[in-house]
Amino acid sequence: MKGNVIKYERDNIDTDVIIPGQYLKIHDYNELASHAMEGLDPNFHTKVKEGDFILSGKNFGCGSSREHAPIALSHSGIKAVLALSFARIFYRNAVDGAFLLPIEIDENTYQRISEGDEINIDISSNEIKNITKNQTYPMKPFSEIIGKIIEAGGLFKYKPD
Amino acid sequence: MGKTLFEKIWDAHVVVEKESSPSLIYVDRHLVHEVTSPQAFDGLRMNNRIVRRPDLTIATMDHNVPTNDRSLPILDQTSAIQIKTLEKNCKDFGIKLFDINSPNQGIVHVIGPQLGITLPGSTIVCGDSHTSTHGAFGALAFGIGTSDVEHVLASQTIWLEKPEPFEIRVEGKRKKPHAVTAKDIILSIIKNIGTAGGTGTVIEYSGEGIADLSMEQRMTICNMSIEGGARAGLVAPDEKTFDYLRNRQYTPKNYESLVEYWREHLTTDKDAKFRKTFTLHIDNISPQVSWGTNPGMTCDVTDSVPSSEDYSNGDENQKKAADKALEYMNLKSGTPITEIKIDRVFIGSCTNARLEDLIEASRVIKGQKVSENVRAMVVPGSQMVKKQAEEMGIDKIFTKANFEWREAGCSMCLGMNPDILSPGERCASTSNRNFEGRQGTGGLTHLVSPVMAAAAALEGHFVDVRNLDLN
Repeated sequence: MKGNVIKYERDNIDTDVIIPGQYLKIHDYNELASHAMEGLDPNFHTKVKEGDFILSGKNFGCGSSREHAPIALSHSGIKAVLALSFARIFYRNAVDGAFLLPIEIDENTYQRISEGDEINIDISSNEIKNITKNQTYPMKPFSEIIGKIIEAGGLFKYKPD
Repeated sequence: MGKTLFEKIWDAHVVVEKESSPSLIYVDRHLVHEVTSPQAFDGLRMNNRIVRRPDLTIATMDHNVPTNDRSLPILDQTSAIQIKTLEKNCKDFGIKLFDINSPNQGIVHVIGPQLGITLPGSTIVCGDSHTSTHGAFGALAFGIGTSDVEHVLASQTIWLEKPEPFEIRVEGKRKKPHAVTAKDIILSIIKNIGTAGGTGTVIEYSGEGIADLSMEQRMTICNMSIEGGARAGLVAPDEKTFDYLRNRQYTPKNYESLVEYWREHLTTDKDAKFRKTFTLHIDNISPQVSWGTNPGMTCDVTDSVPSSEDYSNGDENQKKAADKALEYMNLKSGTPITEIKIDRVFIGSCTNARLEDLIEASRVIKGQKVSENVRAMVVPGSQMVKKQAEEMGIDKIFTKANFEWREAGCSMCLGMNPDILSPGERCASTSNRNFEGRQGTGGLTHLVSPVMAAAAALEGHFVDVRNLDLN
């Protein structure tokens, strides 16, 4: 997975800024995507490109259980969110619906990746290559079961052993 | 080794459990509302599935319903469609629905306990993060996303990685319990453990400070567990719990034999181990006011707005977050909290819109008027709360003071119905989240208790309610 990074250098990016409440009535996923991150960055929809990644701090996706949050990001083109940590419901929603990959990284990686960097994420080797800076960082491997759900393409496609 | 209450409830609901794999957990009650369910029902239809246990599934509409006159049509077409969609889904799949005109309609986390649907020792899920509220009854209750809503509708089960138990002890006695409330306890806890302090855990609240609380106050505590990062929080049931649920509309017929079982089994063993423990001493805690943009950014009413340096304690990320929060909230560090002027007051939400919350707030305002610079509203958590309050004459106390007295719903907690803040408006709110834009784009939220909100409405700024005569 190769793409460019949009970096939000802050902790606690909550579901209300990812997709503000007034848009939770929208059923069309592309329309929903046009409001992604609007609470924090009204220009997000103009700068995001298919295949981009978001990079952020601790407790990404805290707050509401709205699955609209990973859906809006995913339909904006975001393939993965890299963060120091995730709120659990967001993490689960992202994986269950196969909307995007929630990837936990360490502080060093967080500091070294900059806005706009082109990176390549390889979940088979748990490595992130920074093509712009020619650096390689580790990512926290998915747990076995999460890996299987991701591989299956979401909760409903996953068949337990 | 002994078990915690959470572990006992978990063990009693495991359908499938395997080493290093999530467990399949049985769901006793599934609460459904209009916003997080439509795609789940669409998914069932696409796959020709039925609802596995419609008898254990209960629906109402709360998030986007207008809170003005119910005889008027809903002007927002997208809301109207979402509400009609829930009606159709419940009809098609045979689910009991408390619709907009039902006397049982209300915020899903207010009506569950009021109707006796929430029971000790049960597992409860809902497509809403504040499902943790029901933990006040000794239930394992947590919020889920729409994919999981569909999974539960189809199978009455959910895959879950087992969280770890986190003990939060609340010790001591509040001075002036009418002024220092359950809301101040939970805000103090979140201020201490942080917004991710409970991630991956189920909190069990215990100690004298919890035992002293009424059921409605315990619900306020458990409700905000998610703001501390924990998906669920619970309190071991006691006689207050059993009394509260006796003789409700949906209380089971064999209730007394259930109570006997609960008394014996729904406790944490003395030798049980928690992954971590935090203790809050409440003898000297003050009423709390949030100053920032997450519920951990909270201080005492007697404090001043902190500087980002003071708040962050040397953590660079925290400092940046505090600077951004102060900028968004348009606050200068060093300003006494009691000098912050407000434009709006919202008494409502699944955190603080129960009968007791309204009674406590009404004690503050009796015979007085809302400041002329403030627009204040009360939104009862359910139609039942509204009716009970009206029978007690509490609505009159509010309306005589120039509060708006509205119909039940989530209202201004989350900015997805007509009740919103305008950009730059500052609100004393009894809700649970002070995130940027939560109550409307550009709106500025200060989280407080119902008595603090009521007092702020009268004065036009925050006041220390311990100085009022509330007895």
